[in-house]
Amino acid sequence: MSTASSGDPLVDLLMASLTRRKATGQVVSGEHAGREAARWMADAGVARAVLASDPVVDAIGLPDALRREGIDVIMWPTGLGKREAMGLEGPIDVCGVTVPALAVAERGTVVLEASEGHGRGLDVTSRHHVALLPTDRIVRTLGEALALTFADGRPAPSAVSLVSGPSRSSDIEKISTLGAHGALTEHVVIIR
Amino acid sequence: MRTCLSEAVAPSVWKSSRRVLERCGVDVKVPRAQTCCSQPAWTAGHPDQARAVARHTIVVFSGPEEVVVPSGSCAGMVVHGYPEMFKGQPEEEAALDLARRTIELTQFLAKHDLDPGRGSRGPVTMHDSCHMLRVMDESQSPREALAKAGCEVREMQHTDRCCGFGGVFAINFPELSGRLGEEKARAAIESGAREVVSCDLGCLMHIVGVAHRQGIPLRARHVAEVLDR
Amino acid sequence: MSTRKRRGDGGVAYLDVQGTLRERTVDALRDRTLRGNLDSATTSWGESRDAMRSDYGLDEMRERAREIRRSNIRNLPALLSEMQAKVREAGGTVVRAVDGAEACRYITGLAQARGVKVVAKSKSMATEEIKLNEALEDARIEVVETDLGEWILQLASEHPSHIIAPAVHLNREQVAALFREEAGTDDVPDDREGLVAHARVRLREKFAEAGIGVSGVNLGVASTGTVCVLENEGNARLVTSQPRIHVAVMGMERVVADWDEAAHILQVLPMAAIGQDAANYVNLITGPRRDGEADGPEEFHLVIIDGGRGALRGTEFEEALSCIRCGACLYSCPMWRSVGGQAYGSPYSGPIGAVITPLLEGPSSPASRDLPFMSSLCGACGEACPVGIPLQDLLVRARARSSSPATRKSGMAFRAWSRLWRRPSTYRAWMAGWRLMLRARGKDGWATDLPGPGAGWTQVRDMPTRWPPRR
Repeated sequence: MSTASSGDPLVDLLMASLTRRKATGQVVSGEHAGREAARWMADAGVARAVLASDPVVDAIGLPDALRREGIDVIMWPTGLGKREAMGLEGPIDVCGVTVPALAVAERGTVVLEASEGHGRGLDVTSRHHVALLPTDRIVRTLGEALALTFADGRPAPSAVSLVSGPSRSSDIEKISTLGAHGALTEHVVIIR
Repeated sequence: MRTCLSEAVAPSVWKSSRRVLERCGVDVKVPRAQTCCSQPAWTAGHPDQARAVARHTIVVFSGPEEVVVPSGSCAGMVVHGYPEMFKGQPEEEAALDLARRTIELTQFLAKHDLDPGRGSRGPVTMHDSCHMLRVMDESQSPREALAKAGCEVREMQHTDRCCGFGGVFAINFPELSGRLGEEKARAAIESGAREVVSCDLGCLMHIVGVAHRQGIPLRARHVAEVLDR
Repeated sequence: MSTRKRRGDGGVAYLDVQGTLRERTVDALRDRTLRGNLDSATTSWGESRDAMRSDYGLDEMRERAREIRRSNIRNLPALLSEMQAKVREAGGTVVRAVDGAEACRYITGLAQARGVKVVAKSKSMATEEIKLNEALEDARIEVVETDLGEWILQLASEHPSHIIAPAVHLNREQVAALFREEAGTDDVPDDREGLVAHARVRLREKFAEAGIGVSGVNLGVASTGTVCVLENEGNARLVTSQPRIHVAVMGMERVVADWDEAAHILQVLPMAAIGQDAANYVNLITGPRRDGEADGPEEFHLVIIDGGRGALRGTEFEEALSCIRCGACLYSCPMWRSVGGQAYGSPYSGPIGAVITPLLEGPSSPASRDLPFMSSLCGACGEACPVGIPLQDLLVRARARSSSPATRKSGMAFRAWSRLWRRPSTYRAWMAGWRLMLRARGKDGWATDLPGPGAGWTQVRDMPTRWPPRR
């Protein structure tokens, strides 16, 4: 993970916010993004990746990079049964790979929109969550992000998920514990 | 304003208040006919009974003078409660006028930059009554007054937590009220001071009453008494 | 302090509540574990809250939040019409339920018509209020709470003690014991992380099985017909995305006009509730899945509950409808902090609960007689409220509305008081009599046993008969 300043204040702000929310991030160039993302997943012990069907995924060559790391690749829609999709059967170390529509720098939030190519459960059914985020999708505030997402004349997506860090619960002794239901990890690959 | 609590339990409080003001050169009138601001009835949910007594209070204090009250609670009742109590009533104008002229004792001292001279040295710890803190929005003026009088204040933990008095609450839910009072009394002692001081007599009676029952060696005085030494 | 759930109908209250409110507070005060948990919870909340005020300007945001919510309530009928139209446009179904019974009938009927055997739920105060779980269970439908804290309580057969952190009164050992019983095995970890991992697997089975997911609604956005569901765990996302049918239950007052307002409230809500600038997951759902989408519910039903809320518009209690159910007033309340939420005997506890429970239940209900009086009126709640509801003033108004033998007796006493204290001569006579009584009862400057209403005083404290008080 790069800790040096990227030269782009919004990117720096987003990175700081992600850390605060117990997510991780890295800033990479387009040509290295696929390899870096695959490497992160390999290091995390990911056995299978479920990828959103999105131009960005192909543009960075992620499916091939993953296969080179020996990670099983499934594109959305997966056709998996419900139990396997939820991690009750099959490999446990599954990573959902999303492509956010936007990100909110000051909150460390990625904005995921459900669509034909993007399942609404992609980031929560799996153990790990990797988001591929081009830098031109980063805005500063929640207000801006929502205004863009629900702009006049734009049909509201069926499900928009604002994700700010891995799943957390404070229900046992009021102490924050990770991974109650959603992904235990969240890693954002910020693509220049 | 003498306040009914002071008359009932601690006349020294209103008498000290008068002396403190006179030492500052203030011309003080204490209307003989005054009774009560009617807060007990209002907060107990009997607005008609409260209004009947409050009407008398409005009449008694109808002059142009500022009305000084040695109680954040009673002052708060007039300033914050009377406008609601008399909204749409024939006395509304007079009630609003009184509300504008009413002020708590240490706020009055601060507002007119008055200095009553040397008081007790202390150390004391300061209890901020909820009404003083939140209704009158004030925690500085009593501390300023004590500092000017040369009285040392040692702050306790959680000065902004309720002592549990709450008027009729003290009688309706005595166990809960007593528990909060005990916590306050212990916090007071833990400040290192042996005496708790407040702008509100109700809180003090409750805190020191619990302390005495529990064997906690805490003394209490109203801020007017500390200034009047 | 476990209470058994019994079935019942009508009203808001937990019908299995034992004893009087005062008795329940006494029980709670004796419970050290509860006390310890409440203390640590409220202290950490207070610290986070201070950070929100200093680092994020929460105080300034309150002003705007208050204005937004008041305007929402003023325009409520129009907003609800628009919300309804937009949800239908998006392919969802909207039901406006007059009361809890109607809402339960609709949801139970839906489950039966679709042959659903298992319902997965994410946390919703509104569903507690309407007693949905009981209605479904009566129809032989299994209901599983998926919010970790709610699931724990479901296993313990208890009611939630706080709007946001329902199991805040239980500790790790207590939780491990419940999990062992549920799993039918001792092979359950003891540590916090292990317990959470265990729950994750058990509950995923239920997500896979459930035919209906029921969620609450934190906020409805009228301009697009979107329901917002905030959470930290991810169970609400699973509840609203995995089962074939999603039923969202919303109190009718929980609507804002547009996304500008929504953005503001969605920022203020987690700040006030958990002292953070964001909840982990904010799910913005508009109708069912669209054509071509491979996951998401095929049916979306929005059930909008009146339950007595509409009647509060235009009354002196209207501001109570601004509430966004953040729970800040609970954490700031000295009463709640001392006895926890279960003592209130209502799904809504704390200062907001003490105001709205009697309003939704009616002026002669037991809650109306007791709840508004369990407060010292310290005002910490009004100060903490992110939408500026003057809760302490509403409590006084609620007291005035209460009607019961006890309050009628108090009314008679204050009528006598008023007659004596509005005239100087009778007031002075009363004072003289009182001072005599106090002197007579006092020994060494203290009275330990006062008559009449004074007995409540001397039950737990002495009365100084001289001032300054003697040592």
